[in-house]
Amino acid sequence: MPQFFLNKRLIILLVSIIVLVALIGFSLRERSKLSWPEQFVKDTTGWVQSLVSKPTHFVAGFFENLQDLQDTYGENKELKSRIENLVNLEAQVQELTKDNQELRDILGEKTTLRDFKPLPATVIGRNPDRWHEMIIIDKGKLNGIKKDMAVVTATGLIGKVKNVTQFSSTVQLLSAMDPKNRISAVVQGKKDVYGFVQGFDDKQKLLLIKAIPSGSKVEKGQTVVTSGLGGVFPKGLMIGKVVDVRPDQYGLNQTALVKPGADFYDIENVIVINRLMTQPVKSEISDGKVREF
Amino acid sequence: MRKFILPLLFLFLFILESLFVEFLPAKIFGFERIFVPHFLFISLLFLTIFVGKKHGIIYAAIFGLLFDIVYVEIIGIYFFLYPFISYLIYKLLQVFQANLITAFLASLLGISLLEIGVYEMNFLIHVTDLDFMGFINLRFYPTLLLNAAITLIAAYPLKWLFEKHSEAMRTE
Repeated sequence: MPQFFLNKRLIILLVSIIVLVALIGFSLRERSKLSWPEQFVKDTTGWVQSLVSKPTHFVAGFFENLQDLQDTYGENKELKSRIENLVNLEAQVQELTKDNQELRDILGEKTTLRDFKPLPATVIGRNPDRWHEMIIIDKGKLNGIKKDMAVVTATGLIGKVKNVTQFSSTVQLLSAMDPKNRISAVVQGKKDVYGFVQGFDDKQKLLLIKAIPSGSKVEKGQTVVTSGLGGVFPKGLMIGKVVDVRPDQYGLNQTALVKPGADFYDIENVIVINRLMTQPVKSEISDGKVREF
Repeated sequence: MRKFILPLLFLFLFILESLFVEFLPAKIFGFERIFVPHFLFISLLFLTIFVGKKHGIIYAAIFGLLFDIVYVEIIGIYFFLYPFISYLIYKLLQVFQANLITAFLASLLGISLLEIGVYEMNFLIHVTDLDFMGFINLRFYPTLLLNAAITLIAAYPLKWLFEKHSEAMRTE
């Protein structure tokens, strides 16, 4: 009799391992959208989360304000000195914008890679186990959010929309390791240098920009922005600043280590970027195996 | 009313975990380490220890699945590990007497098993390429420390709640 029970337990274990492998395989395969039970569960919990997170944000905001009050004096002094330059700059910007508009009209070019429509959203949750760096935001399909859109904060790019449900969506942060997640980036200098944001150094907290041609010069302190050449990201979203450059494994390319401009922790409000320029049909430009953004 | 206390408690802890991580700054006490809260799992283990195997494993499976769908988007990791480790801990505590100290030590053991199990699975499916020593230093020790502190605080209230609950079930 005990023998029989031992076998039963073993069988349950084996069956559950098979189910586990099947489920992991099911969820790892490339999915254009989540299955409806998952969407239902996510929407329901998303609703509860937004109920809970709004008061918490309010309380946290209150304490943050108190902290801000402490260093108001010093900040005020510095800001005053900056504001004098700002007036000058503003006039200049206005002139340049007007110039740009006129030239664009002459060329007959209406939209550029730079144009986008911002959709503000609030963070209502974050993956607690932090292997898959993800946040959940309170805007979904009904608000016009689509898969793969860029997500930024005031200080720079933080990630892209991974999955959308009706009322909420998940954003995969740049600090997540996903070999399929590649963002076309450009290092701004006298001559622009192109590469891909691919991977994150967990220990140093730096982004890796790979596939930079070995001949090109990349220096410390240069700014890295999105190039807009991938699919859905607009041009000119801030990514970060170069900290270090090193040759890659085989010496054919260089890898730049970039300190991200945005803080991946303590995110409260984000902006989802909807690029206005139409996207080329994917099948026309690739074999559909490698996705670049 | 009694029926809803446990699901509501677990749902609250489920959301609390994500809120905790959301407001956690990158550096704590000057260390850049990753602290993973396991409020939900600690209370699930206490449920298994003080109420019973059946309850513990069913709740562990349901909330593991919920965790996978909502936070991880890869179904299976927590759905499998939560009930499996709950069962192991239940078996272990049949050998020892179930009191506060053994429950505390057992939940620490459960959390270490969970962390290592999740790391190995993520390593297997290439979610991470962190080496084992890096994992131990960056995540394992800080996580264990945080959760030991939380268990220390929550152990007595949890035990009280679950014992009351199981008594009420018996009288019904």
